[in-house]
Amino acid sequence: MSLSAHARANREVWTRANIEYTAGSAPQKWAQSEITWGMWDLPERELDVLGDVNAKDVIELGCGTAYVSAWLARRGARVVGVDVTPAQLETARAMQREFGLEFSLVEASAEDVPLPDESFDLVLSEYGASIWCDPYAWIPEAARLLRPGGHLVFLKNSVLVMLCSGDEEETAGERLVRDHFGLHRIDWPDDGAVEFHLPHGKWIDLLRAEGFEIERLIELQAPAGVQMHEYYKFVSGEWARRWPAEELWVARKRL
Amino acid sequence: MSELSAEARKNRAHWDATADEYQARHSQQLDVDEPVWGTWSAPEAELQILGRVAGLDVLELGCGAAQWSIQLAKRGARMVGLDNSERQLDHARRLMAQAGMDFPLVHASAERVPLPDACFDVVFADHGAFGWADPYRVVPEAARVLRPGGLLAFCITSPVASLCWSLETDLQEPRLHRDYFGMHRLEDGDSVNFQLPYGEWIRLLRESGFEIEDLVEPRPSADARSTYWEAS
Repeated sequence: MSLSAHARANREVWTRANIEYTAGSAPQKWAQSEITWGMWDLPERELDVLGDVNAKDVIELGCGTAYVSAWLARRGARVVGVDVTPAQLETARAMQREFGLEFSLVEASAEDVPLPDESFDLVLSEYGASIWCDPYAWIPEAARLLRPGGHLVFLKNSVLVMLCSGDEEETAGERLVRDHFGLHRIDWPDDGAVEFHLPHGKWIDLLRAEGFEIERLIELQAPAGVQMHEYYKFVSGEWARRWPAEELWVARKRL
Repeated sequence: MSELSAEARKNRAHWDATADEYQARHSQQLDVDEPVWGTWSAPEAELQILGRVAGLDVLELGCGAAQWSIQLAKRGARMVGLDNSERQLDHARRLMAQAGMDFPLVHASAERVPLPDACFDVVFADHGAFGWADPYRVVPEAARVLRPGGLLAFCITSPVASLCWSLETDLQEPRLHRDYFGMHRLEDGDSVNFQLPYGEWIRLLRESGFEIEDLVEPRPSADARSTYWEAS
């Protein structure tokens, strides 16, 4: 398996993040009974993005410690979690043992998934491939892995929050500090992480070109009075109450 | 008149009062011999949003002085132009006479189109009704008058530009001037503009029976000039 340079860079970033935060927070995330979305845990029962996942073949691209996969496995889905960072998958395996919940975990980049065509009903990414992989590589992979009529659901930062986040500032402000046109790859100078973000029009172009119909774009609003996330400090609760910091895309592979 | 929403009444009065000045100020940019989109005049010949219109029934929602409708009629479309302002339609009749073109003009708000169901192949707007009328009324109306498989195309101010629009300077500035969530009516004293968040546009279009085909965000060239964005 040959990894892209940005996949190798992001593996290093997530190996560090695993030590700093994700390994420690995994037990709590795994223990959570409710499916929630985003930094402020908006409940799936209100957003109704996934529907009934029982007996569906689901793949999570960039599963990290695989808590989303665990939530779906508990609801009867046949889940495969894919992640490029061994440390994250080690935490996921430890959680599987601790919680007595087994499902497949595959070490790979979502840009090149070693699994057969048309073998899933749902492709999911929650801040995984959705921001850490090149959409021009992972969206075609998602299309390949899905059966016709299957759904693609991914959660990512909003375009707007990226436009308001400079390379140097940690937290989004109220000024546009980045160009919209040409937005694609962001190399963060502080930790070497490489993120990918596209303007809405480019997402729609790409999804349509890869055979998807756009079903929904849900821009998540922070609930009133929330605090900044304890680890992901790119946006304040007040900012995310007024403007979308996160967006959830739902697309369906055409029959 | 009683059928008009409060916003449509307000915008009708605004456009009746300002149409002469508007057409005079922008005629150099608007009265061109090819269809162009938006305040930076992105050529339809390059974007190919509508494609071939010859022989198609086409409705323009908020046609103003009908510069677009005239261009499409010249290319063989069976045009109908609709506008909420009688004064704008006076300008449309003037330009149609100059061009030697004749097609129906309808004086009505796009929020309630006085035309039958399923009679158009294409409904479009270049700003027009998609900034000056309530999308929650206009999009269902567009769906109603379109034939199955028909195309809706509209050019609007981007939601980001609406966020960055300063009421004080009447310019877009690189800062967020208003909230995104709940964005719908943008009041400007004597007129009302409308805008929705991206996700809400998609939800409304889907709910009205449309499939999302494309979202084109054209970038003006470095030397682009616009009568809409001249320093005042």
